[in-house]
Amino acid sequence: MSSTDEERSAEILTELDRLRNRTRTRTHGGAWLPALAIAALLLASIALYQMPFGQLTAISADHPYWAGLPDQQRQPVLSYVFWFVGTPLLFAATAAWYTLRARRLGLRVSWPIFAGAGLGVLLLLAVLAAVPESEVGSDALAPAPDWIWQGLLTPLLPVAVAVLALAWAERSPGLAAAGTWIALLTVWLCGTFPLGYLPPWATNLLGGGSGSLGGQLSLRPGHYLVLMALPLVVFAAVRAARTRRVPNA
Amino acid sequence: MPDDRPAPAHPALALDDTVHQRVRLGILTVLSETRECKFATLRDELGLTDGNLNRHLRILEQAELLRVIKGYEGRRPCTWLRLTRQGRAALRAEVAALEQLVSRLRSATAEPEAES
Repeated sequence: MSSTDEERSAEILTELDRLRNRTRTRTHGGAWLPALAIAALLLASIALYQMPFGQLTAISADHPYWAGLPDQQRQPVLSYVFWFVGTPLLFAATAAWYTLRARRLGLRVSWPIFAGAGLGVLLLLAVLAAVPESEVGSDALAPAPDWIWQGLLTPLLPVAVAVLALAWAERSPGLAAAGTWIALLTVWLCGTFPLGYLPPWATNLLGGGSGSLGGQLSLRPGHYLVLMALPLVVFAAVRAARTRRVPNA
Repeated sequence: MPDDRPAPAHPALALDDTVHQRVRLGILTVLSETRECKFATLRDELGLTDGNLNRHLRILEQAELLRVIKGYEGRRPCTWLRLTRQGRAALRAEVAALEQLVSRLRSATAEPEAES
């Protein structure tokens, strides 16, 4: 093979790169909407708490945490309806969005994986929530082992799984980071009590002195939910701006 | 003492005739970025005629590198195309062979410069 053939190979590779980038931008240009919708769902869930931003003197939270985070909710039934109706509605709206886009652009995304994973974990949550409830007071700083797993029965976990599945379907490292962030915050906040509990090693690391019993961050559910939604909002803004620059995307 | 070791195979030998054709490489590249792609979208993207695209699709389908899915959109018949696992692997191997060729070219052009 001559150097001309090798030059042609370089040309082909450049052309394939251009084609790949263009198709990728067009195919995955719609990811901003589900990301924004999930962020909106997380932010709307702030309304489920009695004092989402204000300090409470005492907190009691029942398993499962239907509002999402272990804090006092306005009405457990309202929280339950919010997540068990709101989340499937979100998936239905996303499915409609992807179907319309596929019809317009002629390019399909693996969105059923996103909806399937989210709904599957939500269903699993409903089944596991049949386990008898228990209540823990605000003075319990050291979580018991069963408290940790029961604490994970929260509607925030299906949301985290859905974002990770969306990241896979949209081949987006940004969404994968956002999903991991939501999952980590959920496991930390719902696997411990009270909300924002820091184990001794963490307080030592933050300068709380050795031999500490642990501590608590003075953030409230509203703050944590804003922190969870923030990467999704940033992702949606960047993706929407990038998509607008490409014609027919 | 002569070196008896066999010379490394030229990367051009790794090129697959079915995949290497320019249009077919384009088809596989577009399909690798989506779950499924409509026939008309692929035709417009690559600037081909229906007949020309059909000819290439048939070759790729016979090699089991893609699947042709026929259905309806409302009352209109519609054809969707999907890359198979073999198709994805074939594209990856082809791009790797092309990259090797290009790196040979780069090292060949860099050597005389280093000597001078």
